[in-house]
Amino acid sequence: MLNLNKGEHKELVYINSSQVDIHVQQHADSVLRVVVINLPQAPDGEINHTIHIDHVEAGCHTEIYALAFIKDKEQVRIHTRMHHDVGEGESKQVVKFVLADQAQGAFLGELKIQPNAQQVSAEQTNRNLLLSDEAIMRTQPQLEIYADDVKASHGASSGQLDESALFYMQQRGIDAATGRRMLVAAFMKDIVEQVSDAEQREQLLQTIDSVV
Amino acid sequence: MSELLVINNLHASIQGKEILKGINLTIGAGEVHAIMGPNGAGKSTLSAVLTGNPLYEVTEGEVWLKGKNLLQMSAEQRAREGVFLSFQYPVEIPGVSMVNFMRTAVNEKRKYEGKDPLSATEFLRLMREKKQMLDMADKLNNRSVNEGFSGGEKKKNEIFQMAMLEPCLRILDETDSGLDIDALRIVADGVNKLKTKDNASIVITHYQRLLDYIVPDYVHVLANGRIVKTGDKSLVAELEEKGYAEFE
Repeated sequence: MLNLNKGEHKELVYINSSQVDIHVQQHADSVLRVVVINLPQAPDGEINHTIHIDHVEAGCHTEIYALAFIKDKEQVRIHTRMHHDVGEGESKQVVKFVLADQAQGAFLGELKIQPNAQQVSAEQTNRNLLLSDEAIMRTQPQLEIYADDVKASHGASSGQLDESALFYMQQRGIDAATGRRMLVAAFMKDIVEQVSDAEQREQLLQTIDSVV
Repeated sequence: MSELLVINNLHASIQGKEILKGINLTIGAGEVHAIMGPNGAGKSTLSAVLTGNPLYEVTEGEVWLKGKNLLQMSAEQRAREGVFLSFQYPVEIPGVSMVNFMRTAVNEKRKYEGKDPLSATEFLRLMREKKQMLDMADKLNNRSVNEGFSGGEKKKNEIFQMAMLEPCLRILDETDSGLDIDALRIVADGVNKLKTKDNASIVITHYQRLLDYIVPDYVHVLANGRIVKTGDKSLVAELEEKGYAEFE
C-alpha cells in the first residue's frame, strides 16, 4: 500500500502494463493522478487492473484516467475502488474501452461515500466504443452513497462509431477508412492527453495511428 | 452554357418508402437554382442522394456531373469531384480539430487531382486567406469540428469549408434555418463571393429571406417527390404570398 502524505502530489502512469494493482491511501490535501493505458499487445492476452484509492483525510483530490484499446481475443478488466471515507474530497474517473474483433472488456466501478464524508464531489464516466459485432463489453457502475451533502455523478455508455460523423467526413472528401481511423483516434485522445510527459504522449499517439 | 449537372428521372427511397418520384433537372455552370417546397416534399432527400448518403437508396434514374456517372461514385469521390453540401445540421466531431479535419480533406482532394499535398505552413496560410476573404474570425482552428459551436458558427463554418474546397456544385440545404439576420448576411455574402462562372449552386429553402441575398436564376417547386413548377425569381414572391397549398 502506498501512502500519500499531507499535501503530497503524485502521478502514476502505466502504459501497456499487464497488471496494475495499486492501493493508495491519501492524507489531507494530497493530489493523485493515475493514468492507465493499454493498446493492443497479445492477441489472446488477459489483463486485470485494480485501482483502489482511499481518502482517509479531508481535502484530497484524485483523478483516474484509464483507456484500453484491444483487438483479437484480448481481454481487459478494469476495477476501480474509489472510497471517500472523509469529507471535502474530490474524485474524477474517466474509463474508456475501444474493442475490435472478439475483444472483451469489463469495467467495475465502485464508488463509496461514507456517512460522514460530507461535501464530497465524485464523478465517474465510462464510455465504450465497439468496432465489431463480436466484441463484448460488460460495465458495472456500483455506487454506494451514504452521505447526503455530496455531488456525485456517473454515466456509462457503449456504442458504435458515429455514422453521421463519418458521412460528414466523406462529404468533405475524406475516404471512409481514413475517417474511421480519425474518429477512433479522436475517441481515445482525451485520455492520451492526460499523460504529462510529452515524449511519451507523442509515442502513444503514433502507436495509436499505426494500430487503428 | 455548359451542362454541369444532369438529373434524369431520379427515384429514391428510404427504408422502402419512396421519397423522390422522378426528378428531372439540368443545371448549367454559373447558375443558381433555388429549390423550394413544403416540408416532406423531398428537398433534403435530393441533397442526400446527390452526395451519396448511404441511408437512401436510388431505385431508378441517373445523375451526370460534368459527364461522369455520379451515382456510381462513393460519397468521398463525389466530394473530390466537386460536390459540396452545406449541411442543414452540421455534425459535431469531438476530438478531431478543425485544422486536422480540413487539412486531411484538402490534401485528399489534391491527391485525387494528382497534386502534391500542402505543407503545414502552406495550409495554415490558405486557411488564413480564406477566413480573411469571408470576414470570419480566425479562432476556430484548434477547436473540434463544430463542437460547441452556435448555430450561426456552424453555418459559417460550412461556408468556410466550401471556400477551402472550391467545389463546382454547391448544395445549400436550409442554410438559413436558425440564423439571425447578421449571420445570414455573412453566410450569403460568402456564397456570393465564392461564385464563379464555373460553379453552380442549388439553394434549398422554405423562405424568401435567403433568396433576397443569393439571387436565383431559376426557382423550382418540389412537391411530393417531383418538380411541379419552374420559374424565374419572381416565383419566389408568388410562393411567399400564396404558400404551397396548391401543390399539396
